[in-house]
Amino acid sequence: MANASPVTMGNQSRFGALLGRFPFLPALIILIVLLVLNGLFEPNSLSFRSLTGLVRTYMALMLLAVAQTYVVYAADIDLSVGAIASLVNVTIIVLMQHLGGGGLSVMAALGVGVLVGLACGLVNGLVVAALRLQAIVATFATSIFFTGLALTILPVAGMPAPAAFWRTYGGSFLGIPFVFYCAAGLAILLYLLARSRLATQLLAVGDGQQAAFQSGLPVTAIRIGGYALCGVFAALAAFCITGDTASGDPLVGAKMTLFSVAAVVLGGSALSGGFGTVVGSVIAALIIGLINALVFFAGTPSHWQNFVQGLAILAALMVGILVSRRGRR
Amino acid sequence: MTKLKLSGVSKAYGATMALRRGDLEIEAGEVHVLIGANGSGKSTLCKIVAGSVRPDHGEVLIDDTPVTVSGPRAAQALGIGIFYQELSLAEHRSVAENILMPDLPREGGVFIDRQALVEKAARVIALFSKVAGAELTAETPIGRLRADQRQLVEIMKALASEAPVLIFDEPTSALDRAQVDRFFEILRDLKSEGRSIVFISHRMDEIFAIGDRVTVIRDGETVGTAKIADTSPEKVIRMMVGEQEGLAAPQSAPPATAAAAGSVALVVAGFSGQGFSDVSFDVARGEILGFGGLHGQGQSAVLRALFGAPPALSGSVALGGAALRTTSPRGAIASGLAYVSGDRGRDGVISGRPILENVTPIHALRNRLWLARPGQLAQKALPALKALNTKFAGLSHSIGSLSGGNQQKVVIARWLIDRPDVLLLDDPTKGIDLSAKADLFALIRKLAEDGLAIILYSSEDAELLNNADRILVFNGGSVSRELGGADRTRYNLYHAAYEAA
Repeated sequence: MANASPVTMGNQSRFGALLGRFPFLPALIILIVLLVLNGLFEPNSLSFRSLTGLVRTYMALMLLAVAQTYVVYAADIDLSVGAIASLVNVTIIVLMQHLGGGGLSVMAALGVGVLVGLACGLVNGLVVAALRLQAIVATFATSIFFTGLALTILPVAGMPAPAAFWRTYGGSFLGIPFVFYCAAGLAILLYLLARSRLATQLLAVGDGQQAAFQSGLPVTAIRIGGYALCGVFAALAAFCITGDTASGDPLVGAKMTLFSVAAVVLGGSALSGGFGTVVGSVIAALIIGLINALVFFAGTPSHWQNFVQGLAILAALMVGILVSRRGRR
Repeated sequence: MTKLKLSGVSKAYGATMALRRGDLEIEAGEVHVLIGANGSGKSTLCKIVAGSVRPDHGEVLIDDTPVTVSGPRAAQALGIGIFYQELSLAEHRSVAENILMPDLPREGGVFIDRQALVEKAARVIALFSKVAGAELTAETPIGRLRADQRQLVEIMKALASEAPVLIFDEPTSALDRAQVDRFFEILRDLKSEGRSIVFISHRMDEIFAIGDRVTVIRDGETVGTAKIADTSPEKVIRMMVGEQEGLAAPQSAPPATAAAAGSVALVVAGFSGQGFSDVSFDVARGEILGFGGLHGQGQSAVLRALFGAPPALSGSVALGGAALRTTSPRGAIASGLAYVSGDRGRDGVISGRPILENVTPIHALRNRLWLARPGQLAQKALPALKALNTKFAGLSHSIGSLSGGNQQKVVIARWLIDRPDVLLLDDPTKGIDLSAKADLFALIRKLAEDGLAIILYSSEDAELLNNADRILVFNGGSVSRELGGADRTRYNLYHAAYEAA
């Protein structure tokens, strides 16, 4: 022990430094391993077509994971992201239906959708940061409230989206699938946000609320800002859900909430706040998607699929944590 | 010209008066030293000026205009910058981001101007370039820095505010000689620019090296202000001690002098670990050994190391003549050590659980009880609680229903069911009321008479002077002086504690 070779020490600390700069490295490794596994089980799954399909289906989860990440930055959590997505989903579906389903009406509905997401985020922020309720419980409560609203707007699932909308989302421009434009747009947005004052301030609040307050940061406003950002990204996620399913469903997002939290952790962010990356969360959302695909391609019997899926996510979390621990030592 | 003036400022936390009557007058272009014993209210005074604590009464005047410092942001706007003793840094952010966190340079309103950020930070970092160490660059995350470097970053953060009034609350505790010298050079430069600086330190040599005037604060009240040139360390200590020179208060029984009669219970030699080095002492049965000195000079660390939380790195311990090697609290308890911490919330109370469960865990551990029979346990718990005059409605009530003092009594009662050989008390009376304190010390003295060896660390000097047979004064992680017999005076205690390290 005492004469541990300096070479391994050097390697470890170099890996540690690399991990410090790119905390999503373990997630990226898992992603590559999963891609290879998918290719082994079903060579077709690595085709351009299937990858496009994967991104199209999991774009929503990526956006929800990003939404969750900004709240987790500040050591908060939002258990209502799925409910916000549902609410936005039914809102825009109903609006588009009422406005006739043309190009303009679609744009107007999307605008309203973003505002609804923003409003939901502000409600969460006010409840958690201004009224100082426990984030877990408070956002759980608002999620029930948002679901209630969604059910009032559209009581049963099934109202179809106008063709103009889902054809665009599923279609291509200049030979490139539309979702890749979305992905590029997301990348630019994330890059800009990473440079924003708000992102740094959120992380500072997550590192220590008292220290941030004593540094003169407006802690409450910053946390509300985090929730507002989260609401907007949840609304964007809802657009993708709507494009993918082409219909309205007041409960569509509920099951995605905890997946978004899992993606944040898998992506290398600390739930205790102050540390993390949105890129990691995006990668982790893809990991969850690939695990689901792998379970399917491996020919798992349907009644075993949940079981295997759960185990695989646990395994991915474990690998991620083990790798980061080694690096940090 | 008076730049900053505080008059009659007070602050209470519940029943505890943190600051009774704080007066302070700072002129432009001076370094004003604030000095006082542990818990005398210095930090509270500073936090009031910085806006992170709101005063209950009193006035703050800047340039002779009364102001309300409603929060740290307001303080910044009023031109007040502060170095926080406990630091206000974000662990995972870079040095540059931390230095400029209060006012991140903007670009287009919402973005951070990275270039300006790094340039501005680099300018402040350059001030310490020779003494800070190579790792301290604008891009380094705080988490990778040593304690002294973090302290330097907090200093840089205060300097970067470019505020006309700068407050430094113990900025040098982790710095080495060269770093302190450089810091003082910078302070002198600031002074010549006409800035006002409040400086808190426990090191007498530093105070006389940098200060222009000194204000002494005692028990939450400003005692007086003097020009450094007209005073001496002895005079300053006299002011800090005040009229309380007579040591043991008459109402308390004179400390037991049975020490000589008792056999040696615990012998510690060459004890070193995190926060202390080469500490040696022994305690006899029936003796109360006091640990004194300023906060955080290694007293708690030694006690915790004896208890195995975490164990010391080197040194030997013998209990009743046999060598003792504690590697965990579990082992320490089995060998007959008991530890009571002043930090009840973290180390003592099992919150949300009934009083009975809070009295019996040690008994259960030592006797390997697997099944709890409340009736039987209650029989054992009641006498222990009674010995301390604990006030409680019923054993099944939650521990949270008790006052702080009674909670601490429950925690101590835990150790009384099966008597330990050595009782380690780590500032046990922190935040508890006077009558509970009296009960506690009556019990501690009785336990000593019964033959327990007791080590008492207290941040309240009166408690030590009134109860300890001998006092070891800690300074910088080692014992600087031993006070026994008639030497146990407040003056000697302060003198040893404030000696230049």
